[in-house]
Amino acid sequence: MTTTSSTSRRGTMARVIIGRTFLWAWLLIGLVPLLFMVITSIKPAGIANQIPPAWIFQPTLDNYDSVLSAGGGKSESFGQLLTNSAIVSLGATALAIIVGVPAAYALTMRDFRARKGLSSWILSTYMFPPIVAVIPVFVFAGKLGLMDTYPALIIPYAAFNLPIVVWILRSSILQLPYEIQEAAMVDGASTWEVLRRIIWPLLVPSVATAAVLTIVLSWNEFLFALSLTRSGAKTAPVGLQQFTGMYGTDWGNITAAATLIVAPILVLMVVLRRQMVAGLTFGAVK
Amino acid sequence: MKATAAPLDATLTVDASRRADGLTTAVPRGRKPLTWKKRSTPWAYMAPAMFVLLLMTVAPALFIFYSAFRNDKILGGVGKFVGLDNFITAVTNASVQHAFLITFGFVAVAVILEMILGFALALPLAAQTRANKVGAALMLLPFAVTPAVAAMVFKQLLNPNYGWVGYYLGVFGFPKGIDLLGDPTSAWIVLVILDMWQWTPFIALILMAGLQSLPGEPREAAMVDGATPWQMFRHITFPAMVPFIAIAAVLRTIQAFKTFDSFKILTGGGPGESTEIVNLGVFRVGLQSFNVGLACALGVVFLIILSLLIPFMLRIIGRRADPEEM
Repeated sequence: MTTTSSTSRRGTMARVIIGRTFLWAWLLIGLVPLLFMVITSIKPAGIANQIPPAWIFQPTLDNYDSVLSAGGGKSESFGQLLTNSAIVSLGATALAIIVGVPAAYALTMRDFRARKGLSSWILSTYMFPPIVAVIPVFVFAGKLGLMDTYPALIIPYAAFNLPIVVWILRSSILQLPYEIQEAAMVDGASTWEVLRRIIWPLLVPSVATAAVLTIVLSWNEFLFALSLTRSGAKTAPVGLQQFTGMYGTDWGNITAAATLIVAPILVLMVVLRRQMVAGLTFGAVK
Repeated sequence: MKATAAPLDATLTVDASRRADGLTTAVPRGRKPLTWKKRSTPWAYMAPAMFVLLLMTVAPALFIFYSAFRNDKILGGVGKFVGLDNFITAVTNASVQHAFLITFGFVAVAVILEMILGFALALPLAAQTRANKVGAALMLLPFAVTPAVAAMVFKQLLNPNYGWVGYYLGVFGFPKGIDLLGDPTSAWIVLVILDMWQWTPFIALILMAGLQSLPGEPREAAMVDGATPWQMFRHITFPAMVPFIAIAAVLRTIQAFKTFDSFKILTGGGPGESTEIVNLGVFRVGLQSFNVGLACALGVVFLIILSLLIPFMLRIIGRRADPEEM
């Protein structure tokens, strides 16, 4: 008896150690691409793509300076592309929240018989492949003169994030005690007043989660931005791919720009990790 | 209480005395027929969201179903009805068949590897220790990186002349200046590794949350009864984790079918057409060769295939995420 329990305990210890070693090996190796990006971005000009890689150097922010300033043969500064990304992401988020909050509320109304079917339909649009939408949107945008404008990206991004937004908000409303809505109705409040005065104040944290998710996913989007913009509304991830043409193959500049794209969303995601995972699973995992 | 609220809301204009009446006198039970206003209110709240969604999903779907039977070109003016020509081209063309085949292959390999590794990472990560708080934050990092940026960084790391990977592989005795993206097999391995680097953490974090939500009692009871760790995993932990595994697998499968950025940036479909998945093929045919009809036919086939995933999405995610169902 004592022998079996001690061997099994030793076995457990061994498994725990193997498990943890694997976990931390994964985490540390996984950091390499990010370390490469940040380290290269602070290397002085000339040694950024030196082989063997330079590990001892005087860190500098020159690359960031050069990327963010306009002129010097560049058609546009990377700062403008980051601004475009921000405008498009915030615009898409505003649109998704403005149309998403009332929709989520409607989908919780007990007298609304179509609510189940509509909820399922909205969820199923998550499956819709963007590549199937991009050609029609390309043609429509061309006909409507919206090519290379902010709305050409804002509307698709809002649409593609609506399933997540609506499902997060709908679950949150359903988790509020129904009695508070009922009490307001008894006092003669309209549905709009219930939404505005009772539900909205309680919904703010969930709206924030949905908004951050929409910002991140819009900020990261590549296919529509690549297809529908040329210069006026070009976003930062697309601009990054054209660096070879815009700036020559300057690794310091490329990695500085890459870091500028990634840094803001990395901060948002790490701070809101739990909510991000819950949101991206439509609330199926809390 | 439910019965009182409905008729009162329907007649918002009634004065206070009647409203008070409605509360004090008995209200007949059962559903009253809804007034038109009551019926239309939720539709009014739904309308803006439905408009945006219809515009970006149903309208494009109708457009591709229509254009798939025509030979319109984006720059060549209006074409004409060509029947099933585009579909015949799509089905008989060897590179189209190849594109669909490698798309399924990529999704299957990537999702299966990510599920297995994600579970293996979630098990140690689920222990509530201080180190694991840092671990979970580190875990999130690759998954938070913009996919287009991740692909660009990988491309630099793999650069045959200046990349870290080639240099350090050379230090360990591999041939110098190795071009991993220049060979179809190694290019595929790189694409799968990039996908795993970025998305295994998503699965690990879902499964970690799942493991942390499991009740402790069954495991403790089994331990008291002398179950081996493998028996406990096989008969207690794993069965309890099935719903979470299903959620992660469905979401990852859908996302994997949408993969575009990493392929476009790392290989552009090359070398040759060896990594041209459907998403890249539709993009090239439709937006670079401007053959809208053929691209739409490909899109129709792809859309129909992906629609087969909808029931899984609704059953596995929809049920679980819906508080009304719980």
